[in-house]
Amino acid sequence: MTQPEKQLSEKESLDLIALMINKAKDTRRDTGIAAIMWGAVIAICSLVRLSEIHFGYKLPFDIYLLTFAAVIPQIYFSVKEKKKRKAKAYGDVFFDNMWMAFGICIFLMIFITGSMYSGLKPVMDEYQQLTGHAAPFNFYEYNSSFFLLLYGLPTFVTGVSMKFKPMLWGGLLCWVCCIITLYTTVKIDLILTAVSSIFAWFIPGLIMEKDYRKAKMGLAAANV
Amino acid sequence: MKEENFSPEQNLQLIQTMISKTKQDMSDNSIYFLVWGWLTFFACTGQFVLKHIYNYEKHYLVWLVVIVGIIFSIYQGRKEERIKRATTYIDDSIKYLWSGMAASFFVLGMILTRLGWGTVVFPFFIMLYGLGTFVSGSIIRFRPLVIGGIVAWVLAIGSTFVSYDYQMLFGAAAILVSYIIPAYLLRSRNKTANN
Repeated sequence: MTQPEKQLSEKESLDLIALMINKAKDTRRDTGIAAIMWGAVIAICSLVRLSEIHFGYKLPFDIYLLTFAAVIPQIYFSVKEKKKRKAKAYGDVFFDNMWMAFGICIFLMIFITGSMYSGLKPVMDEYQQLTGHAAPFNFYEYNSSFFLLLYGLPTFVTGVSMKFKPMLWGGLLCWVCCIITLYTTVKIDLILTAVSSIFAWFIPGLIMEKDYRKAKMGLAAANV
Repeated sequence: MKEENFSPEQNLQLIQTMISKTKQDMSDNSIYFLVWGWLTFFACTGQFVLKHIYNYEKHYLVWLVVIVGIIFSIYQGRKEERIKRATTYIDDSIKYLWSGMAASFFVLGMILTRLGWGTVVFPFFIMLYGLGTFVSGSIIRFRPLVIGGIVAWVLAIGSTFVSYDYQMLFGAAAILVSYIIPAYLLRSRNKTANN
């Protein structure tokens, strides 16, 4: 005897659909190119600044301008990927908005820390004039901490949402490094920033790119 | 059995249903926005009154009210855990986002403890308030939250031009536009929809 089929209520049906979507949601479709690029750019900027401080030279331009230049290929990659996508999955909307908000916050962070620095500089200069030596407090030493705090947020959320462990651990590493930089010198801060960007973006980006290529090849083989 | 494919209209409808469900869930959970919003609003304005008007030395003690928020969140969270229900992808995204936000506030707190809470602290908090609400609003497509997030960012910039005392008022204004007002709007909207 067959058991009578249980009729689902509207709420139960909706919950069931939601669960099904949840099961299928973990598909990663990102090419990883943007993550590779940003991981490399931040690591290069940090290491070049480190070498400037360590070897006592100065480039004719601020190396961090490279981050502004990197926005151009970022736009190119985004447009290209958008064209490739046949339909925008809901996850894409979430990640696009989160990384856009992150980008805006990076600009805000530059502005806020810049205004803090310019506000404190006259006080530091006066201290140096009066005492003959530099002030024990240097705001510049906290710069990396603020940026690492921000790097960690979208990286961690992306990692946990995609169930992509390299990014999840990368995000956590950014926050751990952020706390360590509070107690270290500027040189160590720059090394930790480079390490964080490599583990949070560059390496996960390489894994994503490899997975994407594999999936693409699999799809091509299936179509043969 | 042949797998049934959804038409674009059906897909769209499904997504709309998920968004509506999350909006409803967020409205149910708007108590968090309201409790934290009002507590923070009270702390910001209270600190301003104590420091700027009464010149009270330990003005920062007003921030102890966040303990109430933490106790409430733990209690409410445990209560909700008992009522198990299916979650949508959007529910999970919101949950992960705010977990990340909580961790960021904690790490920011550690930075500021080292740097000194008497320095410029509010622009950083306001910027993070904006990030959380902007992304949440974008996910559930609720414009007041998105606008609240953008206004919070503008207030974060504006707050760098004023003294520490007035930054507290900027903080209160940011909380009002990014947490409190959108939470009430979300509640009233869903109340109307349910009726």
